[in-house]
Amino acid sequence: MPSRYVITLCDGPSCMHKKSKEIEMVIKSELEKNGLLEKTRVMLSGCLGMCKKGPVMIVNPGYTIYGGITEKDIPEIIQKHLLKKQPVARLVIDEDHLYNRFFRIFGDVDFFRKQMRITLRNCGIMDPESIEDYLALRGYEALGKVLTEMTPQQVIAEVKKSGLRGRGGAGFPTGLKWEITAKAEGKEKFVICNADEGDPGAFMDRSAIEGDPHTVIEGMIIGGYAVGSSRGIVYIRAEYPLAVKRLEKAIVDARQEGFLGKNILGSNFSFDIEIRLGAGAFVCGEETALIHSIEGSRGMPRPRPPFPSVSGLFGNPTLINNVETWANIPVIILDGADWFSSIGTEKSKGTKVFALAGKIKNTGLVEVPMGTTLREIIYEIGGGIPNNKKIKAIQTGGPSGGCLSEEYLDTKIDYESLAQAGSIMGSGGMIIIDEDSCMVNIAKFFLEFTQNESCGKCTPCREGTKRMLEILTRITEGKGEEGDIEKLQRLGNMIKKSSLCGLGQSAPNPVLSTIKNFRVEYEEHIKNRKCPAKVCQSLFNYSIIDKCVGCGACKKICPTQAISGQAKAKHAIDQSKCIKCGLCFKTCKFNAIIKS
Amino acid sequence: MITIYINDKPYKVEEGQTIMQAADKVGFRIPRLCYHPKLSIEGACRVCIVEVEGAKNYVASCAFPVSEGMKIKTNSEELRRARRDIVELILDNHPQDCHTCERDGICELQRLAFSMGIRKRHFEGERKHYEKDLSSTSVVRDPNKCILCGRCVRICSEIQKANVLGHAHRGFKTVVMPAYNMPFSESVCTTCGQCINVCPTAAFVEKNYTQELFQKLNDKSIVKIAQIAPSVRAAIGEAFGLEAGKAMEHEIVAALKRLGFDYVFDTQFSADLTIMEEGSEFLERLQGKGKLPMITSCSSAWMKCLEQFHPDLIENVSTAKSPMSMMSAMIKTYFAQKIKRDPKDILSVAIMCCTAKKYEASRPELMVEGLPATDMVITTREIAWMIKSSGIDLLDIKGENFDEPLGLSSGAGTIFGTTGGVMEAAIRTAYELYTGETLLDIEIADIRGFKGVKEGKVIMDGKEIRVAVAHGLGNANEVLEIARKDPSRYHFIEIMGCPGGCIGGGGQPYAGYNSIPLDEECLKKRAEALYGLDRNKTIRRSHENPDIQRIYKEFLGRPLSPAAHKLLHTHYKAKEPRGIIPVVNAVL
Amino acid sequence: MLTPLETIKKKRAEAISRIIGKGYLSTKRVYVGMATCEIAAGSKGVMEVFSQAIKKGLADVYLSQKGCAGRCNLEPTVEVIEEGKIPVKYCKVTPQMAVDIIERHLKKGEIIKEWIIK
Repeated sequence: MPSRYVITLCDGPSCMHKKSKEIEMVIKSELEKNGLLEKTRVMLSGCLGMCKKGPVMIVNPGYTIYGGITEKDIPEIIQKHLLKKQPVARLVIDEDHLYNRFFRIFGDVDFFRKQMRITLRNCGIMDPESIEDYLALRGYEALGKVLTEMTPQQVIAEVKKSGLRGRGGAGFPTGLKWEITAKAEGKEKFVICNADEGDPGAFMDRSAIEGDPHTVIEGMIIGGYAVGSSRGIVYIRAEYPLAVKRLEKAIVDARQEGFLGKNILGSNFSFDIEIRLGAGAFVCGEETALIHSIEGSRGMPRPRPPFPSVSGLFGNPTLINNVETWANIPVIILDGADWFSSIGTEKSKGTKVFALAGKIKNTGLVEVPMGTTLREIIYEIGGGIPNNKKIKAIQTGGPSGGCLSEEYLDTKIDYESLAQAGSIMGSGGMIIIDEDSCMVNIAKFFLEFTQNESCGKCTPCREGTKRMLEILTRITEGKGEEGDIEKLQRLGNMIKKSSLCGLGQSAPNPVLSTIKNFRVEYEEHIKNRKCPAKVCQSLFNYSIIDKCVGCGACKKICPTQAISGQAKAKHAIDQSKCIKCGLCFKTCKFNAIIKS
Repeated sequence: MITIYINDKPYKVEEGQTIMQAADKVGFRIPRLCYHPKLSIEGACRVCIVEVEGAKNYVASCAFPVSEGMKIKTNSEELRRARRDIVELILDNHPQDCHTCERDGICELQRLAFSMGIRKRHFEGERKHYEKDLSSTSVVRDPNKCILCGRCVRICSEIQKANVLGHAHRGFKTVVMPAYNMPFSESVCTTCGQCINVCPTAAFVEKNYTQELFQKLNDKSIVKIAQIAPSVRAAIGEAFGLEAGKAMEHEIVAALKRLGFDYVFDTQFSADLTIMEEGSEFLERLQGKGKLPMITSCSSAWMKCLEQFHPDLIENVSTAKSPMSMMSAMIKTYFAQKIKRDPKDILSVAIMCCTAKKYEASRPELMVEGLPATDMVITTREIAWMIKSSGIDLLDIKGENFDEPLGLSSGAGTIFGTTGGVMEAAIRTAYELYTGETLLDIEIADIRGFKGVKEGKVIMDGKEIRVAVAHGLGNANEVLEIARKDPSRYHFIEIMGCPGGCIGGGGQPYAGYNSIPLDEECLKKRAEALYGLDRNKTIRRSHENPDIQRIYKEFLGRPLSPAAHKLLHTHYKAKEPRGIIPVVNAVL
Repeated sequence: MLTPLETIKKKRAEAISRIIGKGYLSTKRVYVGMATCEIAAGSKGVMEVFSQAIKKGLADVYLSQKGCAGRCNLEPTVEVIEEGKIPVKYCKVTPQMAVDIIERHLKKGEIIKEWIIK
């Protein structure tokens, strides 16, 4: 039987400080005393965002939140609440935070309990195509509040105070951006939502729009109100048809309810949103390239300044934020900047969504408070590395990010710490790499991507990344030369500092960071012509060892007839015929084929 | 004024400019490549990077504004190395064929690489390989030499507003091409050749006919006749290292004779002829026979532009052929008869400042007696090379006069080469034809100079004649928009396809060591050379040219006579650009 | 004249009562993941099973689609929620499993433990 009750105890730094661990012990012993241990699940969660009222625990079903509890309160809560179904009123706190709703449904799953869902608060708990569902979840209330009680200046002040920073990668303070746009002069102003998510393996924006399109819309309307714009544009990948469809429906529904259009809810403020589809260029995620694309030109970045806030779409002041940034806005307005800024680290506030992928048990989307460590994400949420393999590296920030080695596992996630470690936050890709991966090959993979997606405008990015890729290819083919590492570094550093836009400025990151953290692997490839992880095909051979029982499976599957041998006798591989496709390796049930 | 620090020394500079502009004025010349003062800031080549204190990365000095107290380093060791590496990266993807390249010695990339001190190559690898586009009559596109500075794209879209070129593909495969990689000949290219002018390398060059010409010049069985456009003489000296602005008409005549031409005529003569025809046509239109405003038709790039982009205005354009085609028509008829030779045996070569004239020469409607009127068009650059290649010393040669009967010209014909010149020449004659009085104040200041769109007026017999002058196809668009909205605003519009008029043509010498392509100072000097020639002439009005009077008396009758119509006038027709679906047929 | 905030609160109240009218509180709520990732994992077939069952008379069920909650490797996911009980979250649901969920859980109230997300 699943548990009848789930008790969630906050394990955030603040609550922990207030002895939540000790409380957990008491809960367990009290449950035992009352014979409830079997029927109740006690779990620790990540920060629940109610630090001021900690330690906090939640009893489900019912989602009763107890705050400021001590060890002494526990017997009473167990007695009254669990046995008699009467919550202990004096300890109950009323915290109607938007993110709570997600945990009422998912709070008892390990994968979710360390998370904190602010931007993804509604994803997975409501019908994305129903504006009623969104309204029921306090949807558009932030908009109502803004239009009723706040001046544009107050909205900007609130966003500034929240400490929210751009979630697209660069981490520019959002409130400041709003302020600059509000002050900029222009014939008209634009608000843009950047939903051109292009990092390989990243799908945060798609999920957010598919799961809860109205949040983005509401954020944009509030942004429009704050900066004095009446036209919003969502620039979204054409490869996201379902997201586009749901967004379109949401816009139509919002218009019908009077949240979009002329004179919104009788406030004299008008705002409408249109959708522009991207044509599949990674670089169009860069704001100036995105703006060019909307204008109908080729998506190529241009030098800044002037920044889009001053001169953007068609030369007008343009407020451009990405999906995740917009999705934070309604929460900041409703729950307040003070609450929002209580989450996270000193310089990075709120949460961040990551797309967890690679060699990890639980792949998926996670939203965690800033300041969560990589270790917590990988082991407590992600469930660790499958097949008992060792972790080798963590790649964050997509193709523009860097590869961190195991020693950085305790790095706290925020803009500065990740940058200091040699990677970036980026838009939120996180790929876990285990011992079976070759870091040179990984660096090559990412560079190949950026090289293909470079817009071709500026020399360092266009030509430089090509040369770096050539050197890397050479190394992985066993043709590396003395001095190649230095050449990679020389080019990489130059490209980083000289490129026109963020794509080029970050393209060398995977290479530079792997050289920094895994230099030995490069040297092995170059000096000893060896790929330690046995990934680079030119640098190892398949061979059959004595374990071979002569079943003949490998012989049968080999596409080039490179394997010979009598039945029930040890087989052998003719290296001159072998194309290293690896089929025999995968087929052998006796682990008799090895890479050497 | 604000204070900035360049390499630790303070300088007072004006606010609101870029680092590059400010540095230029205080004695620094930050290396640069994609930058061009007339074009938008691309920030693509990254050669002009500098260090700014507080900035995480290098900034492109062409794009970054100065601010109070800014500390800039233009020459630190690290920066020098980065800049050097960037230029090397460009070289690494560029053919290593300088010695056999048309721009050897006058290539901006060569100069830049030299000044970077690249003595060793570190990063060589794969190089791009594309087919050359030889389809156009005028412009050859060689993507292998392209370094993707984007100047051609910008001049084509920003100054010429023809939008022929754009970047295609991504990353290392990026290439500049016309839409759908159409052959140039089928694209909307107006053949103006400005891409050649601004290209720092030889990615764009004119279609070269020098070898064919050398061959023909050795052919004893034919009569070789050259004509020289006004602005060739104003610029050819630059190709020989002279300062801009030295007029060299007699020297060229002598050089062409030594090259093997039997006769050298002056396109300025036929410019006078053009004025007679066009001026008369204008007066007819003014009297109600034909549409106003009338628009000039001398510029070949403009005519292609008209047919493609402004077909609604074809009836407004003068039917008079360009001076080149009038001259060629006269050579193959009037002059052929005079020397009693079959026009088939005549080679008519036009030495032009222009690549579009190569296209014009190929127009079938300009054929005379079933023959192409102009057999070959050679640009200033090509002829300069031919002169050098033949070992002819243009600088110390004794000048010779143009041949009769097509060599004498008025000052009005001379100023055809600069923007506003055709209009000024036309007014000088039309005034007299209309009023019967001689216009005394013949230098019309309003329509001189390099303003994009110039307006002026003359009173003829109490009637106000309003004129407009535009140079560069972008400015042409502008003046035509005005005329479309208000058809009675102008009576007469002069349009020249190139910035500055013919003196800024696509076939003119490349910018020298201390200059930039299409430098306005240089254009001014070329224009001044032509105005100087005009001033020094006794005959300054086309209709006063005695050889013009003679050709009408002996051959053409009078302006707009049937004979004149047959030989000196033509027609234009709309040319729907390929690849663009006409609106009526588009599936909506 | 209502203020914008009052209007929205009114709209919310109306929305909630409409949702409740559809049986939100009184029935078992079934949410089927229908984001691109879920659909790719096969959730359309699962959804079809539930909606067909309702068409054929399965009563007291409030069926809705939902976005992706983020458990990529366990999709498609289906939640069965009853007021006052811990929500049951099934993972890697196939159409056949959906039939079982209908038969055993929705009709008989049996929670199929081995399919639940831990």
